[in-house]
Order: sequence, then C-alpha cells, then structure tokens
Amino acid sequence: MSFWDQAVEIARVDLQVERRIGDVLRIILPFAVVALLVFPLALGIDLAAITRIGPAVFWAIGVLFGMQVALRQAADDRPERRDLYALLGVDPAARFVGRSMSGSLLMLGFLLALMVATLLLYSPRLPEGWPIPAAAAILLTSIGLTELGTLAGEVTAGLRNRTALASLIVAPLAIPLVLGGAQTLESLARDTGILPWLLLLFATDLALAVAGVGLARPIEEASR
Amino acid sequence: MRTTRILMVIAAISLGAGLYLTFTSPTDRLQGEFTRIVNIHAPSMWVAFLAFGVTALASIMWLIFKRTAWDRLAEASVETGVIFTATGLFTGMVWGQAVWGRAWDWADPRMASTAVMFFVYIGYLALRKAIPDPIMRARRSAILGAIAVIQVPLVYFSVNLFRSLHQTQSIRPDGATMPDAMVVALLVNFVAFTLLYVALTAARIQVAKAEEERAAETVPAGDAVTTPMLSEVEDV
Repeated sequence: MSFWDQAVEIARVDLQVERRIGDVLRIILPFAVVALLVFPLALGIDLAAITRIGPAVFWAIGVLFGMQVALRQAADDRPERRDLYALLGVDPAARFVGRSMSGSLLMLGFLLALMVATLLLYSPRLPEGWPIPAAAAILLTSIGLTELGTLAGEVTAGLRNRTALASLIVAPLAIPLVLGGAQTLESLARDTGILPWLLLLFATDLALAVAGVGLARPIEEASR
Repeated sequence: MRTTRILMVIAAISLGAGLYLTFTSPTDRLQGEFTRIVNIHAPSMWVAFLAFGVTALASIMWLIFKRTAWDRLAEASVETGVIFTATGLFTGMVWGQAVWGRAWDWADPRMASTAVMFFVYIGYLALRKAIPDPIMRARRSAILGAIAVIQVPLVYFSVNLFRSLHQTQSIRPDGATMPDAMVVALLVNFVAFTLLYVALTAARIQVAKAEEERAAETVPAGDAVTTPMLSEVEDV
C-alpha cells in the first residue's frame, strides 16, 4: 500500500468511526450553537452590538469548540489500535496525514454549520463578495486547527487529563489561525487586501504539516 | 556545583553594574523616570526569547541523541524563560500604565502575542507535570518544545508586522535611536540578564539531577510489602 493509500484508508476509517459515534454532530455542534446563544443573552438586547460582534463570536466559538472536534473521542487511539497500526506497517507520517484529512473534513463541516447558525442568530453586516474569502479562510483554518489538534492529541495521548491539557496547548498556538481567519473578512470590509491574512493561514498550515510529518516517528514513539 | 556558584556571583556583579547604570543614565524628556523600566523590560524579553530558542534546540537534540542532559536543559530553560516572560510582561504593564495611561493596550500586538507565548510554555510545563515516566515525559515535551518555538518569531516581529503602539527595535544596524549613556546601560543589562539566565538554568539543571538521584534511591511504597505465603500462615 502506498503512502497516500494508507493515509486515505486511515481517513476513511476515521470518518466511519465518527459516523457511528457522532461526537461532532450530536454533541459538539449543538453545544457550540448553545454557546452562540449565550453571548447575546449575556450582552443584553442590543441589536447593533449583536450584529457587530457576530463574526468575532463565530471565530472565538469556532476555534474553542473546534479543539473539541480535533480532540474528539474517535481521534483518540487506544494502545491496541496503535499496536495494530505498527504491526500492519502503517507509516506514522501517513497516519498523521490521514488523521488530518478526516479531521479537516469534519472541522470544515463543523465551521460551515456554525457559520450558518451565526448568520441566522446574529445577522452580521458582511462586506460585498464575502462568501469566497470566508470559505477560503474557513478551509485553511480547518486544516491548521486539525493539524494542531492532532499533534496535541498525540502528545497528550493516554494521559488522565488529556482533553484539558491538549486544549491548553492548542489554544495559544491557534492564535495565528484566529488572527488570519478573523482579519480576512475585516480586511475585505476595510478594502486593505486579504492576501497577507490568507498567506498567514497557509504558512501556519504548512509549518504544522511539516512539523507533523517530520516528527511523525518521534510522535509515534512518544504516544506509546 | 562550583561553576554554578561562580556563575551566580558573576551574574550578581553584572546585575549590580546594570542597576547602577540604569539609575545614573539620563532621564527621557517625554517618559521621565519611567524610561528606566525599559532596562529591565527589554533584557527580560530578550532572555525569554533566548530561553525558548535554547529549549527548541535542546528538544531537537534530545529527539536525535536521546540523552537526558538535553531534556534537563530544555526543562530548565523553559522554567527560566517563563519567569523572564512574566517579568517582561509585568514591567511592560507598569510602563504602559505610566506612559500610555493603561496597563494593557489591545493596540499593541506585542503584548497580546507575548501573553500567548507565555501560555504556550505554561502548557509545556503542565504537560511535563502530567507525565510521571521520565522517558515518555522527555519524548513528548521534546516534540512540543520543538513545535512551540514557532511563536517566538511571530512575537518578536509583531511590532513590525502589525500597526502597533509598541516601539520598534531601538538598537539597529544603522545606529541607535537614543543617547549613548542609555545604550550603554541597556547593553550592560542585556549582558547581566543573559548571565543571570545562564546561572539560573545551570542551577535548575543541578536541582533536576538531584531530583533524579533522589527518585532513583526512593523505594516505591508497594515494594515494602511482600505477599504473605500460605505456608507462613498458621491459622487457616
């Protein structure tokens, strides 16, 4: 089996497990929508303020709950599963790539659903021609956040306080992604050019991909 | 041990010289006496960047050579770096309150990115604390230490990349933007803080070695209890 065949197979199995468990669709997404509802309630009935903070709330909730998507139960490999991968001769780098592929797809779906909820609940004022830049920013953020979550998940695998610890590691490191995502629409509204922000997102994704693939073997050893 | 003590003495002497120059250098026309805080703030941040750079290097070296010494260096350097980052943040906030009129200004991306960097390494220390097995701890923290350093250039260049209240670098290749006496005081403090970093890191490495030796000598509680044999029990 080639490297890419292994990666695609791992991604396929991951998605299948997720379809059965349904962590993202049944638990994380509804919880994130509840969080979207909490902000206006805490702020008071100030329609102008609610409209203005909509995109910012989307990115904040998206990244915070996105971590839960990246660290979902289906992505937590038990030692037996890791042993099986090792016995089957699966390339650790292919495992990272496959895991990132399936996670990115789920993250993209999660963020798109959250965006629809934000549009309905907050009616934010968006600049003309926003859908394509927003889609690009969400896609790149999804990839970066998943790569970061996968790395943090591996580093904290099997630890008692895994979820809290991995979130502490991911949250600060995800700041370039939040900045890039949020500033893309801001720059579009101010007409100051979105390219630097998309490049920041792309560079972060690339750096994380290089780190993930380059450190795949030590990560494999570390998570045992 | 003796080397660490000598390093401590040298660091203390240079810190004394740095402090003397800080209080005898000229006062800034606009910032007044508060400009002296910069002599602690800037060297603290420099040492923090240095410490996290050393951590990344030590982490990569551990991943290649798997020698405990690199793990000890990475741990010691992070702990020292976190202390200096906290000092840099605190002194920056005191200076900001005095000069900008507010301790925390969101118009300064350097402040926010430094706080983010601080929490990345708090996460690193939390990860170390969560793993009891020394080999697994060294492995996992080496991976995080190698990745976390991505933040450092972003923090350093944030004043050049974004519109910011924070001033850009004062000492540049084309010359300094302040009087010579101020430059001398700042440079002496940079050297003093660097020596202090080296001394503290060396001392922390000594503590880590002592902790490892103690752990090796300690008998786990369970080992003191032996299972009773049926033949040794009389009243069955």
